[in-house]
Amino acid sequence: MLSFVFRRLAVAVPTLLILVVLSFVLMYAAPGGPFNSERPLPPEVLANIEAKYGLDQPFWKQIVNYVSGVVTGFDFGPSFQYKDRSVNDVIAQGFPVTLTYGFWSFVVAVTVGVSLGVAAAIKQNSWVDYFAVGVSIGAQVLPNFVMAPLLLLVFTLWLGWLPGGGWNGGQWQFLIMPVIALSTSYMASIARITRSSMLEVLNTNFIRTARAKGLPMRRVIWKHAMKPTMLPVLSYLGPAFVGMITGSVIIDVFFSTGGIGQFFVNSAFNRDYSVIMGITILVGTLTILFNLLVDVLYAWIDPKIRY
Amino acid sequence: MMLPNRAAVEGIAENMQLADVKGRSLWADARTRFLRNRAAVISLIMLCAVAGFALFGGLVAQYEGDFVNFSLIGSNAYLGVPSIETGHYFGTDSNGRDLFARTVQGTGISLMVGVVGALVAVIVGTLYGATAGYYGGRIDGIMMRIVDVLMSIPFMFVLILMLVIFGRSIFMLFLGIGLISWLDMARIARGQTLTIKNKEFVEVAVATGVRPIRIILRHIVPNLLGIVIVYATLLVPNMIIFESFISFLGLGVQEPATSLGALINEGSRTMQFGYYWQIAFPLFFFVITIFAFFFVGDGLRDALDPKDR
Repeated sequence: MLSFVFRRLAVAVPTLLILVVLSFVLMYAAPGGPFNSERPLPPEVLANIEAKYGLDQPFWKQIVNYVSGVVTGFDFGPSFQYKDRSVNDVIAQGFPVTLTYGFWSFVVAVTVGVSLGVAAAIKQNSWVDYFAVGVSIGAQVLPNFVMAPLLLLVFTLWLGWLPGGGWNGGQWQFLIMPVIALSTSYMASIARITRSSMLEVLNTNFIRTARAKGLPMRRVIWKHAMKPTMLPVLSYLGPAFVGMITGSVIIDVFFSTGGIGQFFVNSAFNRDYSVIMGITILVGTLTILFNLLVDVLYAWIDPKIRY
Repeated sequence: MMLPNRAAVEGIAENMQLADVKGRSLWADARTRFLRNRAAVISLIMLCAVAGFALFGGLVAQYEGDFVNFSLIGSNAYLGVPSIETGHYFGTDSNGRDLFARTVQGTGISLMVGVVGALVAVIVGTLYGATAGYYGGRIDGIMMRIVDVLMSIPFMFVLILMLVIFGRSIFMLFLGIGLISWLDMARIARGQTLTIKNKEFVEVAVATGVRPIRIILRHIVPNLLGIVIVYATLLVPNMIIFESFISFLGLGVQEPATSLGALINEGSRTMQFGYYWQIAFPLFFFVITIFAFFFVGDGLRDALDPKDR
C-alpha cells in the first residue's frame, strides 16, 4: 500500500513540475510584457520596473527563480496589476471562499446523488425511479453557466427570496444558489452512475445468497451492496472535483462571490500573468492531490485492485 | 424413399439459398436496433433540424447578424420584442441587433466547435490509442503515461492562460479544444485495440508480413470504428458545453461573431430588464442540441454495443 502511494507520488511530482514549467514558458512566450499599456512608459521607467520584478534577467534564471520560489516557499511572486499585493495575498483572500461553497457543493452532489441513485435502483420502474432518471437527464443539459442565470431569474428576480450575489462572510442565503448551480450536473451524473451500478450489484450472486438466507433488504443494501456500488462512483469523484473547481470560475463571476475564479477571470482580462499562473498551479496541485486521494481510497476499498 | 412433394422441397431449398445470400452485417443490425429506439430517432431528427437551422436560417433572416438598428437601442423592451411583422423573429438584443440572425450564427459556431473537437478526437485519439495498444510494452507505457500526465492538468485553466497570452481568437479555441478532446478517446481506443490485436485476422496479417502501420490502419482502426463513433457522438455535446463555458466568460468567440455560450451570457445579463427572449432562444437551442446529442449517443451505444446483443 505504502509503495503504491509512493509510486503514485512519483508520477504526481513530475506532472506538477511540467505544469509549472509549461505555464511559465507560456507566459514568457507572450508577445508584449505585462507593463505594455496604451500609454507607453518611458524606456528607463520600464527598465526599472522590469528590474524590480526580475524580468530583465535571462530566461533560464527567471524560470529557476520562479520554480524554486514555488517549490520551496509556495511563493508565486508579486501580482503585476495589484501593485501592493502578492499572488499569495490574492489566493489567501479568494481561496477560502471557493473552498467553502466548493465543499458544500461536493457534499450536496454526493449525498443527494447517491441517495437518489440508490432509491431509484431499489424501486426500479417506480415513480421514484422515473423521477430520478428524469432529474438526471434534465440536469445533464443544464451546466453551471446555464443553471446560474436560471436560478437568479427564479429566486431573485421573480420570487425575491435570495440575494442575487455577494458573499457576506458565507451566510447561508448567499450560499444556496452557488451550491445548487455548481452541484446539480454532478449530482445528476452521480445519481445515474449509482443507479446503474446498484442495479448491477443487486443482480449478483452474493446478494441473492444474502437475500436467500433471510437478511432483511435494508441490511443487504447497507452491509453488502453499498460497498461495491460505490466503486464506480468513487472513480467519478476525481473528474467531478475538477469540474467543480473549474465551475467555480462561473460561480464567482456570476454571483460575485469573490473566490479565486473571480481573480482568475479579472487577471485574464488584465493580463496579470503571475496571478493566472499562481491560480493555475494551485488548481493543478489540488487536482493531482485529489486524484491521488481517490486512487488510494479506491485501492483500499476494492480488494481486486493489485498495487 | 419417397419424396412427398418434390417441388415444395425444391422451393424451400431455393428460399434457403436466397436467405443465405442476404446476410446481416453488423452495421445493418445496428441500424435496425437504432431505428427501434424512439428517443434516439426523434433526437436525430431534432439534430437535423438544428443543423438545418444553422445552415439555412440565414436565408430566412431579415437582417444581418452584425447590423445595428440604432433606433432600437434603449427601447428594446417594447420595440425589440419578438414578432413576425418587424422581421425580428426572435426579437433584438440590447444593441439593436437581430437575435434570429445571431442565434443562427451562434448555433452554427457551437455545432462547428463540437464537430471539430470530436473530429480531432477521432483522428488523433484513435490513431494514438491504436498505436499504443498495438505496439504494447514500453512504447505503450510511455505513450499512456503521457496521456495520464496531460489528463491531470486542469486544462480549462491552461486554455484560458493560452487565450490570454496568444490573444483571444477562434483558432486558439479550436487548438485548445483539440488539445484535450483526444485524451479520453486514446484510452478507449487503446483498450479496444488490446482485445483486437490478438484476433486471428491480425495474426494472419502479421504472418503474411504486412507492415505494422498498415495493420493498424487497415485492420485495427476499422474494427474500432463502432466504439469510436459512439464516444465521438457523446463528445460533441461536451465540446459544445466546453466552448460555451469559455465564451460565457467572454474569453472565447469574439464579437461580432458569437456562439450559444456568448449569447446565453448576454441574455443572462439583460434578463433583469425583462428581455427574456434574449436568453430564452439561445438557451432553447443550446438545450435541445445537447439533449439530442446525448440521446443519439446513447442510442448508438445501445445499437453498437455487442454486450447487449
